[in-house]
Amino acid sequence: MDLARYAALFLDESRSHLRTCTRLLLEWERDPSAAEPVDGLFRAIHTLKGMAATMGYERLAGGAHEVETLLAGVREGAVPRGAALVDALLGAVDLLERGVELAAAGRDADLDAGAIAGLVRRAVPAAAPAGRRRKTRSAAEGPAVAGAVGLVVEVRIRPDAPMRGARALLALRRAEALGEVREVRPPAATFEFDGFGGAFEFRFLGRASEAALTAAIREAGDVETVTVTVPEPAAGRGGTEGRGRHIRVDLARLDSLTGQVAELVVARHRLAELAALAPGGELEGLALRIGRLVTGVQQDVIAARLTPVWQVFDRFPRAVRDLAKQLGKQVDFRVEGEDIELDRAILDEIGDPIVHLLRNALDHGIEAPAERRAAGKPEAGRVVVAASRERASVVVRISDDGRGIDRARVLAKAKTLGVLEAGVEALPDEQLLRVLARAGFSTAERVSAVSGRGVGIDAVVERLRALGGSLEMASERGRGSTFTLRLPLTLAIVRALLARTGAERYAVPLTFVAETVEFDALPRTEVQGREAVLLRGRALPTLHLDRLVGRPAGAVPRRPGIILEVGGRQAALVVDALLGQQEIVVEAFDAPLGTPPFLSGATILPDGAPALILDAAVLV
Amino acid sequence: MAHTVLVCDDAIFMRTMISDILVQAGFEVVGEAETGVQAVQKYRELSPDLVTMDIVMPDMGGIEAVREICRVDPDAKILMCSAMGQQALVVEAIQAGAKDFVVKPFQPSRVLEAVQRVLG
Repeated sequence: MDLARYAALFLDESRSHLRTCTRLLLEWERDPSAAEPVDGLFRAIHTLKGMAATMGYERLAGGAHEVETLLAGVREGAVPRGAALVDALLGAVDLLERGVELAAAGRDADLDAGAIAGLVRRAVPAAAPAGRRRKTRSAAEGPAVAGAVGLVVEVRIRPDAPMRGARALLALRRAEALGEVREVRPPAATFEFDGFGGAFEFRFLGRASEAALTAAIREAGDVETVTVTVPEPAAGRGGTEGRGRHIRVDLARLDSLTGQVAELVVARHRLAELAALAPGGELEGLALRIGRLVTGVQQDVIAARLTPVWQVFDRFPRAVRDLAKQLGKQVDFRVEGEDIELDRAILDEIGDPIVHLLRNALDHGIEAPAERRAAGKPEAGRVVVAASRERASVVVRISDDGRGIDRARVLAKAKTLGVLEAGVEALPDEQLLRVLARAGFSTAERVSAVSGRGVGIDAVVERLRALGGSLEMASERGRGSTFTLRLPLTLAIVRALLARTGAERYAVPLTFVAETVEFDALPRTEVQGREAVLLRGRALPTLHLDRLVGRPAGAVPRRPGIILEVGGRQAALVVDALLGQQEIVVEAFDAPLGTPPFLSGATILPDGAPALILDAAVLV
Repeated sequence: MAHTVLVCDDAIFMRTMISDILVQAGFEVVGEAETGVQAVQKYRELSPDLVTMDIVMPDMGGIEAVREICRVDPDAKILMCSAMGQQALVVEAIQAGAKDFVVKPFQPSRVLEAVQRVLG
């Protein structure tokens, strides 16, 4: 058996266990008297140890063992709980995380086991030694020798026997006395857990006969059955229930599939157009059928790319905790909507921007405890990252209840820098963001190690625009700020409304389309001196596509309007004609200098002609 | 010749009970220990054929004692005596070198079965 095949699985599961550890440690830090976190930690580390040992990562297994021993001491009351312990454990989890990556990269030997041992030793008072255990990695979990097949042994401990796990371990010991034992399933490290039912199997290599092996295992006591079989050489590991329900797919392969489906979608539209030329024929029926199939494939591909946001959000609590400590601030941090799903490719991209915004919130937003007390706020600042679905997009809000942005100062600074004209005296939220997002703009009085110089919101805005998303902000002095990230559900294929001005065609992602109207039939009005129309009693600012793209206004009667909606704000976009809805494939868009900011991408239409994609978030 | 046994338990009640079971079955109880430290010390003195070891004892627990004894004598035959719900500790004891275990409350037949298995 080739252990490398399991390396990816090992990596995945280990990361997940260590994430669990971090989460539990942060919970524990909040409530040191809680017992559950310790048990959960113990279990996660114990499992990690078992997996690492199975993979033959001795250093990592050793490190996990040190931590496990420490946790055992905590559980038994031999090691005092407290901030120092949590710090030590967080540090140890960090080292194990690094160790997992190293091990998976084939560099287990580079793991600094001494650093983990050192952390553990410092956490344990001299009077209560953690008790160094004998090396517990059994031969049963040693690395496999390729090529050999051996015997497959299934053992069942009597269901009424006490401590079936301990008994199973004894049975395993008996087999080990006769030869080499490997591929123990479930792993021996899990025997002691409550879920272990008493049945396990392993592969045995040795000279002992089947009868001798069976007799030896029975000698362990409380053994109900021992079944020894000679496996088919090519049988592999099949036959375990639950296996095969999930397979792991390389993201690059999924990307390639997505790209091809996107092209298929475009080809389908072309096929439908051709079929429409010969109505009633066989081609039309076939085109319909292919169309339905392609839609199905497309939906499945998108679904396969969706990933719950917790896979990235899980690292935020730890980051916030460390930052708060570093800055001497108290923060009550929460994550909401962790199960909301998003295209993996988008999710991977938004982690850093969100951490950036969180850093800003902690450094510039949340006040020091004394300042908060003086302002009549609870000492711990509140920071929330919340994900939710809105129409076809996913919205992530990062809010804090800190001091908010000092508009007067931003205004003054903006004028000194010449970002704003001298006459401007008020900064509404959307304009505030635009000013802050100017590269290098900063009102920070000091350069902090945490946020660096300035807020760097420009980088965040850039990143989101590249993903077809947008950023909005709202801030109230003394009450805090909220940043809203709006993201498409998936990257590759967007359903869009096509519109025409003159001969040029544009695409508006349906994410931002509230409805379409007959614009010229609506009553006109004005809002703050700007042209607007009244829709069901609400005045909506009017945007003319022809003017936006610098074309002369055409004399088109009964012009349609697209009602754009972004974060509750609406506007009417007047176009010459609507061309219907279509899936469009968003192409990478390297905007040449001078490209208006409301053009966020390009697409190729079924007839081969290009169309530009309008970014409603900038327009509204 | 009868096998010699060292009985380690901090409760006189348990020591007495185990001794009775073993003596009735023809074993010779050559010593008793109330703590882990005593267990290690007496093992050195007496080199018994078998040790019964309680898990929870004051002044060095049973697992620690197993570890110490096995360090001195890797072939030591130690039978753990455990209460219900201590499976993790029993597993640890086995990893430390214990050869078998019995779970309280003791049934003489099960104790003797385990002893036979340990003595092989």
